[in-house]
Amino acid sequence: MTLKRIMKKLGIILGVLVIIGIFILILVVTAGGSYNRLVKLSQAVDSQWAQVQNVYQRRADLIPNLVATVSGAAGFEKSTLTEITQARASVGQVKIDPNTAPTDPAKLAAFDQAQGQLSSALSRLMVVVERYPNLTATENFRDLQAQLEGTENRISVERRDFNQAVQAYDTAIKSFPTLFYAGAMHFYEKPYFSAAPGAETAPKVQFNFGNPATNTP
Amino acid sequence: MKRYWIVLVFAFCLRAFADEVIPPAPAQYFNDHAGVVSSATASQLNQTLEDFERQTSEQILVVIFPTMQSDSSIEDYTVRVARAWKVGQKDNNNGAVLFVFVQDHKMFLQVGYGLEGVLPDALCKRIIDEQISPRFKAGDFDGGLTAGVQSILAATKGEYKGTGATAADSRTSHGSSSPFLGFGFIVLIIIFIIFSRGSGMFLPWLLLASSGSSRGWGGGGFSGGGGFSGGGFSGGGGSFGGGGAGGSW
Repeated sequence: MTLKRIMKKLGIILGVLVIIGIFILILVVTAGGSYNRLVKLSQAVDSQWAQVQNVYQRRADLIPNLVATVSGAAGFEKSTLTEITQARASVGQVKIDPNTAPTDPAKLAAFDQAQGQLSSALSRLMVVVERYPNLTATENFRDLQAQLEGTENRISVERRDFNQAVQAYDTAIKSFPTLFYAGAMHFYEKPYFSAAPGAETAPKVQFNFGNPATNTP
Repeated sequence: MKRYWIVLVFAFCLRAFADEVIPPAPAQYFNDHAGVVSSATASQLNQTLEDFERQTSEQILVVIFPTMQSDSSIEDYTVRVARAWKVGQKDNNNGAVLFVFVQDHKMFLQVGYGLEGVLPDALCKRIIDEQISPRFKAGDFDGGLTAGVQSILAATKGEYKGTGATAADSRTSHGSSSPFLGFGFIVLIIIFIIFSRGSGMFLPWLLLASSGSSRGWGGGGFSGGGGFSGGGFSGGGGSFGGGGAGGSW
């Protein structure tokens, strides 16, 4: 009699244990799966960050050549050149890991601000340069200009790709059920570049390519 | 609070890009949607570019539109279009697209990651400024594009080795629809059999009807209206990073 009751109790305990065990197993499997996924997404962000660093480095490498070419022009205003050299130096002072995407928003903002100053110094130089037709007509300068423009395009492309990679990662972290254990597995939200001024206005697009009749002349 | 605001703006920007309709991938290597090039020159350049992919595996495209119908800048817009078309082979990203917008008097040569070495920005700019623009200014689209294509091919020749077939060739010989479509169909049939044994007959039909309407079984191939001629352009899966140069005339 008592043995039967003990056996029954034991059975219930065993059943509960099995259910708990299955529950833990499911938890471990899903957590493991999402851990692998988060690692993948995090690595995608890092490799995209390396691309961003590459294109910014490419621009920095062009500047000494640009400064040398422009300062050779007769009577060129030296102030714009000093501005560029200073901006390039301050970019170099922002210490940031080129292989791992920043986790600190302030750090990314500092990097972005330094690069933004260099961008605006460069565009000011390009405006000033227009006043020196003898300079802009040279083949050397035109090559440099094409390289700089191409680099700016690459920068905007890689920044956008970086933001998309971060967005995919951040979304994964903040989704249910990853949300509960992402922090425990040391996955934290990563910051992305803020939109460039003017980018808030949506491009208005109408497409009727290949249908010339509807195109306004 | 400020962070959320940034997120909102960012999401809005993404939405704006998502709303932009990118023209479908072209069916040919040389595509004149503006009717400025003689058909003889067009078909000759098209043949040259198709042969070039067979020899080198590089995909060089020329696309002429009447106008650029986007508020984005030409370099930003064309890089997104070239990416969407997946010009160039997947492993080498060796594609390039010359976009011409006739009424805007603007053009842009987008260069894939894998051709940036042989087709650097400065060279692209020179091809546009020295070979294409002067002829366009004189109204000679045939001559400008012929000279431009020749310069591009001369610069990129020998960088990659071709297989003797284009991406469109290998796609048609391997069958156009994806294998998953066939697999999905088999699964559906199995589900159909299982369900029709048990409960009434309407559930499987409902299942079939809903999946049919949402996905479509036709599976239109990617080659984009290449037709049965066997020729035509089909994207190899290449990507672009904003290399190249633009110009006007």
